[in-house]
Amino acid sequence: MKPQRILTISLLVVAGACTSYSHPEKAATQIAFGTAVAKKGLWREAAFRYEQAVERSPNNAEAHNNLAVALEASGEFARALTEYKKALEIEPNNNYIRRNYARFAEFYTAYTKTTGKAAGAP
Amino acid sequence: MHRRLVRHAFAVLSAALFLSETACSSVDQVKLRLPLKPKLPLRGNERIALAPFILVTDAEKAKDKRLQNVDVQAEFHRFLKKQLEKKTKFDVIETPPDVKLPTQNLNDLARAQEFWAAVGTQTSAELIVSGSLEFRVEDRSGYKSEEYQSPIDNRTYVRQVYVEQTGFVFDIVFLVLDGHTGEKLLQDEFKDFRQTGSKQRDELSGLFENLFSLENQILNTFVPRDREAERYIFTD
Repeated sequence: MKPQRILTISLLVVAGACTSYSHPEKAATQIAFGTAVAKKGLWREAAFRYEQAVERSPNNAEAHNNLAVALEASGEFARALTEYKKALEIEPNNNYIRRNYARFAEFYTAYTKTTGKAAGAP
Repeated sequence: MHRRLVRHAFAVLSAALFLSETACSSVDQVKLRLPLKPKLPLRGNERIALAPFILVTDAEKAKDKRLQNVDVQAEFHRFLKKQLEKKTKFDVIETPPDVKLPTQNLNDLARAQEFWAAVGTQTSAELIVSGSLEFRVEDRSGYKSEEYQSPIDNRTYVRQVYVEQTGFVFDIVFLVLDGHTGEKLLQDEFKDFRQTGSKQRDELSGLFENLFSLENQILNTFVPRDREAERYIFTD
């Protein structure tokens, strides 16, 4: 197979991956939809979508990060902590996840200190 | 020749696959309002009595003329009453003027169960708020390390610079007591430092700047509040 042909196929793979919005069974579709509703402030729906993404792709650090953010926005801080930790386990060097986690940890430490309990814990 | 072509093609495919993982992954910064549950589990319509607070004053610092004109107790009571009436559904009352604190020690005050139960009976309050207040001028000026780039050799050095930082500190210890049993339900501390800046701010505006910045935390003792935060989300 000629390299040009392989390159064409590869580009099609990239394009295919980027236009997966129409495939609800894919994690990327769930993330894209979750993000669209999150931007409208519908964090419960976003959390549901990101949960679906995590189910479909358990090793997707971005899905875990987004789920953590949505859980935080819904006041489920203990679950958010678990999701941030999972995201960092998968991608320890991802700067965005690290920054999110640092900000969350600062807030959560102060919050649990004043309430004396892990808020949002079952 | 054929092997070289295959190797080349494989490298191109790998790069393309890597790109498919990263090329379409982008990030957005979003603003959240983090819901904060109240620290006390309450119905929300309790009768709450505001009792006097212990005034903490350092003999040296009390000499500061700027602080002598401020009735911290009265200003704080007025602020707290107004906020509770405006932002909660509590029935807010003040304890009668003849109610005097049995001690000026905060720990003893928190343990004065009989006294608080008596106040509760006298006022029919389910909750009583007291604690301690400290308002002072604090000088945090001092030497701090700072990095700078030398114009001579373009290297970065660390130097000590004197930073002037003076401001007002408001330190509030909050005690919430059960009006029936006199038992302490919660003890919490709120502290805020406001720098006076270049303009010499007067003590009353300093006090209220402290209070406004603590307002959310104070009210969160009794009612749900929220706090703004920023986070990154991956968009696809």
